[in-house]
Amino acid sequence: MNTTLVKSGEYSVIIVEGRVDTTNAGEFEKAVMDVVESGTDKIILDCTGLNYISSSGLRIFLIVHKRMLAKKGCLKLCSLQPGIKEIFDISGFSTIFSIFPDQQTAESD
Amino acid sequence: MKKTTLSYHIIKNVLFFCIALFLVTFSVYYYFARKTIREDTRENSVYLAKTTINMIEQVLTLAEKNPQIIAKMLESSFVSKDSLLPFLKSMLSVNNSLYGSIIAYEPNYYPEHGMYFAPYVYRQGDSICSSILGHINYEYFYMDWYQIPKITNKPYWSEPYFDEGGGNVLMTTYSVPFYTQVNGKRTFSGVVTIDISLEWLTKIITDVKILNTGYAFLLSRNGVVISHPNSEYIMNQTIFTIAKEINQPGMRETGRRMIKGETSFQAAEFRSAWKKGKLWINYAPLPSSKWSMGIIYPEDEMFASLHRMNIILLVLIIVGLISLSIVIFKIVSNLTSPLKDFADSARLIAAGNFNVRLPEIKTEDEMKELHNSFSFMQKELDEYMATLKETTSAKEKIESELRIANEIQMSMIPHIFPPFPDLPQIDLFATLKSAKEVGGDLYDFFVIDGCKFCFAIGDVSGKGVPASLFMAVTRTLVRSISDNVHLPSAIVESLNKSISQNNDSNMFVTLFLGVLDLKTGELQYTNAGHNPPVLIRKNREAYMFEKTKFIPAGLFEDFKYGESSVKLESGDMLFLYTDGVSEAENSQGELFGEQAIMQIINNNITARPQELIDKMSAEISGHVNGYTQSDDITMMTIVYNG
Repeated sequence: MNTTLVKSGEYSVIIVEGRVDTTNAGEFEKAVMDVVESGTDKIILDCTGLNYISSSGLRIFLIVHKRMLAKKGCLKLCSLQPGIKEIFDISGFSTIFSIFPDQQTAESD
Repeated sequence: MKKTTLSYHIIKNVLFFCIALFLVTFSVYYYFARKTIREDTRENSVYLAKTTINMIEQVLTLAEKNPQIIAKMLESSFVSKDSLLPFLKSMLSVNNSLYGSIIAYEPNYYPEHGMYFAPYVYRQGDSICSSILGHINYEYFYMDWYQIPKITNKPYWSEPYFDEGGGNVLMTTYSVPFYTQVNGKRTFSGVVTIDISLEWLTKIITDVKILNTGYAFLLSRNGVVISHPNSEYIMNQTIFTIAKEINQPGMRETGRRMIKGETSFQAAEFRSAWKKGKLWINYAPLPSSKWSMGIIYPEDEMFASLHRMNIILLVLIIVGLISLSIVIFKIVSNLTSPLKDFADSARLIAAGNFNVRLPEIKTEDEMKELHNSFSFMQKELDEYMATLKETTSAKEKIESELRIANEIQMSMIPHIFPPFPDLPQIDLFATLKSAKEVGGDLYDFFVIDGCKFCFAIGDVSGKGVPASLFMAVTRTLVRSISDNVHLPSAIVESLNKSISQNNDSNMFVTLFLGVLDLKTGELQYTNAGHNPPVLIRKNREAYMFEKTKFIPAGLFEDFKYGESSVKLESGDMLFLYTDGVSEAENSQGELFGEQAIMQIINNNITARPQELIDKMSAEISGHVNGYTQSDDITMMTIVYNG
């Protein structure tokens, strides 16, 4: 798992790569929450390179989502691989997250 | 590998270097020493030749004086012809080196004496005799000693010869032409000669001592050996006949240069027949007589001092190198002796004895550093082992607790099959295969009010004890809630409300919960974010339930869940599973996938509940091929026999 932070306009884009599973969920949580707590209220999680997510990983997405809701901020996901999109669909998470096909549409929405 | 010591390596390298250094130094030294010796020898030799030649010249020039004076006297007519014999006699009597003297006149110089007039005095034993030479049988005018000075108008030293009459003495004759005024004109009138013994010459030459066996020799202007330590050569051989005899062209060449009057000091280009080894030669001419003197230096003697020096040097160096080796060996042994002790200590430490005594180091060098590192390592190892023991026991405790947790988890879910022997409508089989860590999968089923069959399968996010606790809570809540509420959506909503409150850890559970009316076969279900189960219509097709639009329980307490329903026919089967099945992963990271699930189901459409699960398990094992299982694998099959 690897995360990279880039600024794109008013958005903080976190590029997630690799696998997010039980072994590194904590690490992932810290990386993302650091961005959240840095005061940014517009975050895009770019999942182009995310090729596996376990339920522990989903939990972190959820924590971030809830935190952003509490901050009245905005969290968007984009560029999910089909397998990951499937997991979001199966778990019903697609209904609570704003998911976009790519970063551009995420930003312009 | 052959065992070698550090000192061996150091000595080998140092010796190698020293020997190389010595060879270079020695070569340079040898080259220059040889050059110096050659130069010194040359200088000495030139000096020696000069002195020797001077000595000879002194005698010869002295000898030349007498006939020259006589010639002058005759020219000035100081002496009458009658006093010639007494004059010569008295000259011989005061000069022991003179053996004879002639004053030979031109034919008919004194008409009263006829054709020949040559007064002659000579030694005969101890007495001095005299006679008048010249006879029809001895026409002295034609002798070399007369002819050559006459023609050249110059004094002339004859080739040496043995005087057979005078006791076999090596002699040479010096002839000086003299002139008188005839008709007012200076006219050649005869020759004055002296015979001089060359005994002294041989003595001077043999007195020349060169090194141990070096020697000097003298050649006449024709190359005849006049003086040589090998007396057989004297007057019997020329340098050229010797050269021819022993086949040494170099000697002939040297001979040629010598009689040409050249001077040189060089390595001889020839070998001598009677003097072995390489030779050096110095030669120089005698100015008066045009003879040439050679001095022979045996090379081995010439460089003997150098060779002696070399041997001394070699012995010194060998002794030096041996001493050096011994000293290095001692030093290195002293320096490295603690290393051996360290090695022993390390071996003991490796064997687990961390408190082994380290060798004492008194010096403040790298050895001390090593000692410090060792003792640091000892301390660290000791601490590490203590910590390891602690953590191991803690880990063992945790592991045992986890095992117990897993056992408790497993004991919470029903695992007696068939579960309802007295309920013919339901045939059911289920498995939960835990991953290494305690997981959060669950399944459960029970009968409500005797006519409704409630079942659930779920998966708690995360793993470990928190997940299993959450799972236990979920399972308990589902059971207790469904005591009062029979509508799946109501059960899930109630569950969601309970677990969402104070869910600071944000854990959640996906859940598929169904309530089957055993009489009608009507199945009402709510899917809270769980993998859609598969419905297998008896003897027909199998298909997956639609994906849910409801999120897992535990996220938002006010979330509204709904339900769907489907009517089951007798023999219809449900296959429920968790993501541990669809996401079973092999070493290449490939997931098992829903397609595989559907295919296996389609291939085993008539299989019994346990049979299908066994089949599915086998296929999953085949797919993961020994790769570590990362998530619980839970499956449940329910057949409705309405």
